[in-house]
Amino acid sequence: MIDLIKKAVSIQGVSGRESKISEFFAKEISKYTDECYNDNLGNLIAIKHAEVIGDNKKKVMLCAHMDEIGFITTFIEDSGYIRCAPIGGINYIAAAYSLVTFEGGTKGVIVPEREVKAADLTSNKFYIDIGVKDKKEAEKKVKIGECCAVESKITKLCGTIIAGRPLDDRIGCVTMLEIARKISQEGTRLKDDIYYVFSVQEEVGCRGAKTAAYIAGADYALVYDVTGTGDSIGSIPMACKVSGGTAIKIKDSSVICHHDVVDMLTALAKAKGIKHQHEILQHGGTDTSSIQMTGSGCRVGALSIPTRNIHSPCEVCDTKDVEACVDLSIEFLKADKK
Amino acid sequence: MILKDIELLRELCLCFGPSGCEDRVRELIYEQIKDFCDDITIDRMGNLIAVVHSEKADAKKIMVSAHMDEVGFMICDIDSDGYLKFCTVGGIDPRVLSSRAVTVGDENRQTDGIIGSLAIHHQNAEDRKKITPIDKMYIDIGANSKEDAEKYVGIGDFGTFKTNFVLFGKDDKMMRAKAIDDRLGCTVMIEIIRYFAEHKDKKPDCNIAFSFSVREEVGLSGALTAADSIHPDFAIVLESTAIADIADVPENSRVAKVGDGGVISLLDRSTIYDAKFIEFALQTAKENNIAVQIKKYLSGGNDANHIHKSREGVRTLALSAPTRYLHSASCVAKTDDYFAIKELTLKMLENSKNLFERYIGVK
Repeated sequence: MIDLIKKAVSIQGVSGRESKISEFFAKEISKYTDECYNDNLGNLIAIKHAEVIGDNKKKVMLCAHMDEIGFITTFIEDSGYIRCAPIGGINYIAAAYSLVTFEGGTKGVIVPEREVKAADLTSNKFYIDIGVKDKKEAEKKVKIGECCAVESKITKLCGTIIAGRPLDDRIGCVTMLEIARKISQEGTRLKDDIYYVFSVQEEVGCRGAKTAAYIAGADYALVYDVTGTGDSIGSIPMACKVSGGTAIKIKDSSVICHHDVVDMLTALAKAKGIKHQHEILQHGGTDTSSIQMTGSGCRVGALSIPTRNIHSPCEVCDTKDVEACVDLSIEFLKADKK
Repeated sequence: MILKDIELLRELCLCFGPSGCEDRVRELIYEQIKDFCDDITIDRMGNLIAVVHSEKADAKKIMVSAHMDEVGFMICDIDSDGYLKFCTVGGIDPRVLSSRAVTVGDENRQTDGIIGSLAIHHQNAEDRKKITPIDKMYIDIGANSKEDAEKYVGIGDFGTFKTNFVLFGKDDKMMRAKAIDDRLGCTVMIEIIRYFAEHKDKKPDCNIAFSFSVREEVGLSGALTAADSIHPDFAIVLESTAIADIADVPENSRVAKVGDGGVISLLDRSTIYDAKFIEFALQTAKENNIAVQIKKYLSGGNDANHIHKSREGVRTLALSAPTRYLHSASCVAKTDDYFAIKELTLKMLENSKNLFERYIGVK
């Protein structure tokens, strides 16, 4: 799985610029699905039709977002320094002095203006140094509107723990690929239609999942995303930790998950002995909210990957939690639904 | 001599139409376009939707959208002396309110008033340092009692700034008025509808739905329902954008400049615009020698928010008039920018085949 994670993070896809990363996931997911296409906003939608035909066929949407936070070039100074606007929730302290890569391949360093205190660091108080001597030279390297993101990298820490970016949310995308692969490998025949959605523009307000959910018109949905945890020094008290198993979301600041889904997931995890915990995230939202309220509504749940240092260059999670998440998801897909 | 387009813009800007009370504006627009489009409807929210049809069976549909409403006020109380207490409808800086002439009323009846607050003579040293909050201001309509005031206005009535439309600057190319946001976009749409009626040979092979939408300024966007019922493949949002091309603002924060053409947004607080659509707009501008600029700073939001996320998603572009002092009694914009926006929108519609071709192969 680690190789797949490394590949999945190596392709850049800042919100609104997901076409390349979408091609990668399209290639992977189409091995296990019947059809696969992009909608108007760029969401990748792959469908696996039910193989056992019963009279209670449901549509189940699985969703993880493929976009990542980053920056967009808005202005080039006479000096050749690049000014950017943030895309998604940037942690400026984490971003300062990081290396970035632009869509066209140009590299740069994020530099805060001198004398700006960490607390005052905002989008117009930093610039990107790409190593050119003036504006003219810079304009050959970087275009207005070109996006960039902090360089991606995955490093193995002790045991099964990995660190790097953007685990948010390529780890969720990899989880979906693993679910599809395992179902196919084990020859499991499902009685529901499964929509695998790799959504766009989650980091800027869960926008892509809305149109994908409209298209799917699903009865049930499960969302795969990272969640904050309570196991860092100074974190807000939260009964969710890295290596504690897959996190069954009860609520976050954007959604209250459907109780039927929460109960079903919990019962299945207990019955099958899958390591799990419950998640109540006080600060942060996910695609779950957009899916829940689209069309005539959808019963939603989410299985999160507990992750420390989200939106930093070193997000930390446990691949064991991902495995538990895959196992529980497959049990959910196999189970009878109301 | 005042140009025909600018005369129409003047008439629209002077019209009374705060969010939720767009009736006057809608009637005026309806009269202007009713004989020039194939289909015209008003939906339950109050959006006016005018369609120019294509004869082709499976033609694509482009939505062009501008909002009719403007920022304003709502009367929330009348005191025993006949003064009106109010709140704002849409985002207005309390510092631009004091001593402004206003119009209050509803779609049928309006009365003149003035926003009052304590004169400098009656303020102590401490008061003078503070910004008067809106709840300490009132609208004076010259009434001498609550009963007297109630003859002219009621709780829940609306208000807008009352400002003349003035041309100034070199060659009278600068415009000063209330509600340029977004009557300028409405004017562009009216003129384009009329253009296609007069030049049938120029009509592209696509259906164009012009949506004059309501309630943009309060975020309860009428465009939400308009986009759902129109169900377009593409959308062009015509707007006014706040800019800061003024003293003391560093160049990287100036957003855009008055006179440099229509403003194309890469993204704003609520939308990331379609990259291929932006390329198409820039190329169309270049080929036709039309002034256009890219927004340099992330700010604001508009009807594209709801439109691009409607149904299966809509590929969306925003083209805005650079406007100083947005949401005040005196917005300032330039006639050249108006014509650049009209020209670019027209050329994009005429060449829409080229836009559609960009997505062939993209399933």
